[in-house]
Amino acid sequence: MEKLLDIARKVSDKVEIYSIEQTVDSISFENAKLKDINSKLQSGTSIRIIKDEKLGFAFTKNIIDEEELVSNALVSLKGGVDAKFNLPFTNDLPRLYTYDPSIENLTTTTIIDECNRIAGIFAAKTDGQVNIHAGRMIEKISLMNSNGLDLSVKSSYYYCSPAIMYPGSYASISRVMTTKKFSQTPGEHLDFILGTYNKSLQEAIPGSGRMKVLFLPETMYVLLWRLQSAASGKSIYENQSPIADKLGEKLFSGNLTIYNDPLNDQFPGARTFDDEGTPGRYFPVVEDGVLKNFYYDLHYAGKLNVQPTGHGFRSAMWGGEAISTKPIPSLAHLYIKPGDKSFSDLIRSIDKGVIVANALGAHSGNIPNGDFSIGLSPGLYVENGEIVGYVKDAMVAGNIYETMKNLIAIEDTLYPAMMGTYPALLFDDVSVTTKA
Amino acid sequence: MEELRLILTKIDADYADIRYEKMKETMIVFNGKELSRIGSDTTDGYVLRVLKDGGLASVAFTRITDAEQAVKRACENACLISRNIKHPVEFAKTEVVDDTFTPELDEDPRNISIDEKLEQTRNYNSIPLQHKEIIMTNVRYQEVIREKYFLSTEGSKVKEDLITTMIGGMITSKDGSLLQNVRASVGGSTGFAKLRNREEVFEQKAELAVDLLRAKPVAAGVYNVILNPSMAGLFTHEAFGHFSEADLIEDSPTMREKMRIGATLGNDVLSIIDDPTVAGQLGFYKYDDEGVKARKTPLLQNGILVGRLHSRRTAASFRELLSGHCIAEDYRFAPIIRMGNIFIQPGTKTLDELLAELGDGLYILDSKGGQTSGENFTFGAQYAYSVKNGNQGELIRDINISGNLYKTLKDITAVGDDLVLCEIGGCGKGQINIRSSHGGPHILVRNVVIGGA
Repeated sequence: MEKLLDIARKVSDKVEIYSIEQTVDSISFENAKLKDINSKLQSGTSIRIIKDEKLGFAFTKNIIDEEELVSNALVSLKGGVDAKFNLPFTNDLPRLYTYDPSIENLTTTTIIDECNRIAGIFAAKTDGQVNIHAGRMIEKISLMNSNGLDLSVKSSYYYCSPAIMYPGSYASISRVMTTKKFSQTPGEHLDFILGTYNKSLQEAIPGSGRMKVLFLPETMYVLLWRLQSAASGKSIYENQSPIADKLGEKLFSGNLTIYNDPLNDQFPGARTFDDEGTPGRYFPVVEDGVLKNFYYDLHYAGKLNVQPTGHGFRSAMWGGEAISTKPIPSLAHLYIKPGDKSFSDLIRSIDKGVIVANALGAHSGNIPNGDFSIGLSPGLYVENGEIVGYVKDAMVAGNIYETMKNLIAIEDTLYPAMMGTYPALLFDDVSVTTKA
Repeated sequence: MEELRLILTKIDADYADIRYEKMKETMIVFNGKELSRIGSDTTDGYVLRVLKDGGLASVAFTRITDAEQAVKRACENACLISRNIKHPVEFAKTEVVDDTFTPELDEDPRNISIDEKLEQTRNYNSIPLQHKEIIMTNVRYQEVIREKYFLSTEGSKVKEDLITTMIGGMITSKDGSLLQNVRASVGGSTGFAKLRNREEVFEQKAELAVDLLRAKPVAAGVYNVILNPSMAGLFTHEAFGHFSEADLIEDSPTMREKMRIGATLGNDVLSIIDDPTVAGQLGFYKYDDEGVKARKTPLLQNGILVGRLHSRRTAASFRELLSGHCIAEDYRFAPIIRMGNIFIQPGTKTLDELLAELGDGLYILDSKGGQTSGENFTFGAQYAYSVKNGNQGELIRDINISGNLYKTLKDITAVGDDLVLCEIGGCGKGQINIRSSHGGPHILVRNVVIGGA
């Protein structure tokens, strides 16, 4: 990296080099039997150079020739992409517990044994088909820039996600556990999956109308995707945010607090700095229902002449590689503040309603506008405080700026899920459409 | 190829294959008037698969110096699987091939300067921005050139190039706090010429984005609908296509039972085919990533299931014919079963006849992404028109549809006489497939659930 930095510095004003190395083993069980083990040994390097406030960008998997990578960045520079920002100098960051060395010695056999253990517990209590995804990852990210910044972070991940499938379908009840080192999936996870599945085997048809809707942690991303879009510095700059003029206003229920916290190292993936080297911190987006902050990377902060907030991540929505992706504003460590209700309290408080256990088509609605219109896969129907069956051929729709005002209660526990770590949230008066 | 052969010689297994890929990606991105990215980058990597004692494992690695570690890990994991598996993995027999295939192009994008690509993208991007209601465009040029080298211990040796180009993206309009967006794209697998002289696509979609600001939101409910070819294609892909992919149902006894060959799944007007071998369409390829030649594969014939998409593993497990549909996104992935080019075969009805048959309902156009979970699926549309007494009426927005595999195919009651295939793809089944191609004629579908807004 140093050699690359030296070469690039001679032909530009500012240089940033990002590199990543990953080792991944993913194990899948289908129908309670081991099916696949796929491994990855991947690495890559990405360079950004700035000259006369213009940006050059290039990347490669294998650095065979540093000169060639720099010359690709110089070709890109000629395009004239604006770069009106400075690269940070960051040091003396707090130490976080992101890496557990025991991950190195975690054998694939141990993971397979754990999957077999879970499959055995499920087999005794359900006829449903059991699929499990589990695995581990070691990731090292290094970042240097011409301002003297030299940071790196090594992270370990272990995950296990058991699921029980409904017959004739891939609709399932599942819950993922993510940790920094191997640990057995707790009994509560397995009980949640089993209990929820076993209560919902009958098909139920709730009929169309407005009713209570419970989003599980696994489906909260449907709603928060819309908020992330609206609160992003990119949307503010591009005039694509419906809440651009609403800072300080109460948008949602007063019980709702949504924050980003990269420093929380209880879960894997904690970070003291973002992918551009800006330090991260506790960052409320919505506090007690009030919109508090928009979030920025270097580029959009520069464009809008505000301070960067440490949210520049090379996150690619559809699984693109980090090295090939420019940093964009991203809430990479998003949380919803837990409430005071247990999951069973939440269910008991529903006279008639639907649980969104898994959602389909969250990406196809009008995201910038806050609209969602999702298929249930499955939905669970609740009547008089009990889960009475599963719902198919049904949709739940609304706009987050209405729905999230109608919050009734929040679960008391956080679960890692897609796009963040959330409890379950119960809303009132949401539109449900079914076939009958 | 010699380097690949050397790696394979070090493997003690029943079968192994290795794929090396070099991928050159050119990206030019506009956000509104501003250019936000431009550049051309080359990446590469290896994917090794080992079949040993009935266990199949893969390792994707970046550095040639990691080859030894990759071989060791793949062999260990294959043995682990072998010890833990009930039914040993077998590979269906395939012809040993030694071939180099380079597709014919109308203007090879490698011979076009980046300045010309930039100008073409800037030109299309500027069209929507002439409307004052259009507040943002996210229009990009994307060119992906994959050179794939495949070698197996059976002696197959294939080099194939896949070249994909597109210009397109999102157009966003705004009125007060209401935002609407539509997608406009042109492209395919036939070269740069396909990207020229397509201004009308961007103009029409820009006008649509503006008109949608004054369109009526759809009311939630159950509708009879006509889907245009873009929607019919996505519908075929999500509602049926994924469950023709044998790896998705291989280990699900309940789905395997429902998807048995000979099962009546659809109305008798409905026939569906996957054919990657049609030159010129987006999903075209000659060999898949197991070195198996792609075949035209009938899937549904007059509503009856007649075939399925296979890898070598699933063809053996199902005792069915190989189809050549085992495809990887790139050098980071082992191949999985993917649709190549799936479409409903055209019928006999004109659009006017379909509208008359519909009577009252919605005419829904242009897809906006979908998702399936087996029997249920959901997908979005960019716009629709209300239809009363067979007459096309006002513009309607916020269309998201949901349906059920086992019911909805029986609700397709009429099929149009046209056939249009998509120009750009993008299916995410764990990996992205930018060449996932689909299409069809106009179709009439009854009892569709629409979520409303």
